[in-house]
Amino acid sequence: MRLASKASSPPRRRQSFTEFLGRREVMPFLLLVPVLIFFIIWNTIPTLWLLGLSFYRFSLTSGRPPIFAGFYNFDSILNDSAVWLGLSRTFLFVILAVGIETVLGLLLGLLFWGSQKLPGRRVALTLLFTPMVLTPVASGTFWRLIYDPTFGILGSIFRGLGLPSLNFLGDAHLAFGAVLLVDIWMWTPFMVLMTLAALASVPKAELEAAEIDQLSWWQRLRLVILYHGKFILMLGILLRTIDAFKTMDLIYDMTFGGPGSTTEVIAITLYRRAFEDFTMGWSSALAVILLLISIAFTATFIFVLHSRDRKQASLAEEGA
Amino acid sequence: MVDITLDGLTRSFGGMTAVNNISETFPEGSVTCLLGPSGCGKTTLMRMIAGLETPSRGRILFGGRDVTALTPRQRNVAMVFQYPVMYRTLTVEENIALPLGRDRGLSAADRQRRVEEVLDVLQLRKLRRGRMAELDIGTRQRVAVGRSIARRCDVILFDEPTTNVEVHAKLELIRAFKQFRQQLRQTIIYVTHDQTEAMTLADQIALMQAGVISQCAPPRALYEKPDSEFGGWFLGNPGMNFISGRVVGTGMQFDILPEPISMPDAGADIRLGIRPERIRVALPGTPGTLPARIERRFITIGGQYLLTLRIGATVLRARVDGALGRILGNEAGIDCPMQHLAFFRNGTVMARPPSP
Repeated sequence: MRLASKASSPPRRRQSFTEFLGRREVMPFLLLVPVLIFFIIWNTIPTLWLLGLSFYRFSLTSGRPPIFAGFYNFDSILNDSAVWLGLSRTFLFVILAVGIETVLGLLLGLLFWGSQKLPGRRVALTLLFTPMVLTPVASGTFWRLIYDPTFGILGSIFRGLGLPSLNFLGDAHLAFGAVLLVDIWMWTPFMVLMTLAALASVPKAELEAAEIDQLSWWQRLRLVILYHGKFILMLGILLRTIDAFKTMDLIYDMTFGGPGSTTEVIAITLYRRAFEDFTMGWSSALAVILLLISIAFTATFIFVLHSRDRKQASLAEEGA
Repeated sequence: MVDITLDGLTRSFGGMTAVNNISETFPEGSVTCLLGPSGCGKTTLMRMIAGLETPSRGRILFGGRDVTALTPRQRNVAMVFQYPVMYRTLTVEENIALPLGRDRGLSAADRQRRVEEVLDVLQLRKLRRGRMAELDIGTRQRVAVGRSIARRCDVILFDEPTTNVEVHAKLELIRAFKQFRQQLRQTIIYVTHDQTEAMTLADQIALMQAGVISQCAPPRALYEKPDSEFGGWFLGNPGMNFISGRVVGTGMQFDILPEPISMPDAGADIRLGIRPERIRVALPGTPGTLPARIERRFITIGGQYLLTLRIGATVLRARVDGALGRILGNEAGIDCPMQHLAFFRNGTVMARPPSP
């Protein structure tokens, strides 16, 4: 019996190396290697390093080696009123910026979508997207000049109108609003883009039916457009939320977080403590906390996307 | 109630003319089916009546009022689409009631009464609180029909509403359609490519071909007396037989007739048409019949036989009942009664039937 089975199986040939690489079990991993190497060097190792460092007391300027301090840094951060203030300022910034950008983006998107036959629409759309493609540092510098009380165009307009010239970025009451405005200017186009994408996903027949059924503007928006477009809009809102939470360069370039700390969002706090005070251990711990907050946003985002998949799957079952 | 008048209506897309200079009146309170093969322009024509498509030329009048420049909203029409359009976050009842909210002259009680009526006619009462996402496509389409009839517009448009619906739901829709027709006499345009549906539902059928209405007539008249070879061919399953003849002296000889017919304007461009079920088929040798060879035979769903017959060079199809079909061998006798013949010259019916 054993003999027979041996005789029937083909003689084993040694597998060549290229054959081995081409096997179904090997090839996918092989293709992943370059990305994995990159990811490990630039992402995983620094993150682990950061995590490790957050448990040490370590200041670059002290000249002393890092001392293990357990949760000392985290404890210190959670009891630091400046951090809490910075975080609440950041959340206020995120809520206002993303909220206003979403509403404006939706309105502008609807406007562009409803004016498809107007001449100059493409040019207007291209111009509208310009702020989004500029680097934040360039935009920051540019707006700092606009806001400048002496040389800025806003100042001269105010003076021309006989109004007092305002120091937008230097006034503690105005700076936060001025910075917020620039973020809105910069990122509303993104929400316009997302709105246009969302509108493209609305079936034409349903819009026509809404017209024939004489639905009001609001009913059409709520029952037809938002029903079909809400996932894309949600995606836009979440991307913007994560991004706005990390905003640093744009604000730093305009106000350095000032005057006082009125525009100091948490990312600027982190930058200052790390690269101006060189308290690396403490800053690492703060970075870990911010990372966890970002992960929470991302998790929400993934959950929302998956809930759509689940919904589609159940719809597909229904269709079958 | 209004009638719908089309006056020289044309719609071109680039170099392609989808609807070409149509002038026609659809009487008030009637059901007109726009029937024709795919791409004949029937949907474009209906979308222009709805206001969803702008005519390149021509006018549309509702009861004498020119509506060409009005938006769909201003025209006050209702429409049922090919795919059931619904407001998915609302219940069945809310879907039906939704367009009624815009009618300011309607009291809440009236509104509710109308919704109740529609729920009854369409047998949706049990599902009234159901979410649209939970319903099958046929029921969704019934809700869409309900939404369009609840408004009691002067004009309702149906754009192939049964195409995407399975057969039982289709019959249910047609039943509901007939029932609400008895109660409300609105002017209805119904686009379909299904001739059975058109024959069942229509007061008149507008037969369309290549962007024009080739004939607009009640179903029976359209079937019995087609204006063109296209009408004879498109309606009926199978369509009309068309037979060419030979000019003989001052008349014409057709293979399926025992003797020539005298025809002062005889010509090779004349063809004779006869519907398959109008050919009398008998056992071979029956007096008054011509001998024909049976080339093929099929049994149809109704148990009838569909025969392919040959007389000389002429091939034609005939329908016979099952009893006769079973006993016929390879030969049969056929007779084509004169009153069922139609004559076409270059595809168009000839005004006066030639005398034998």
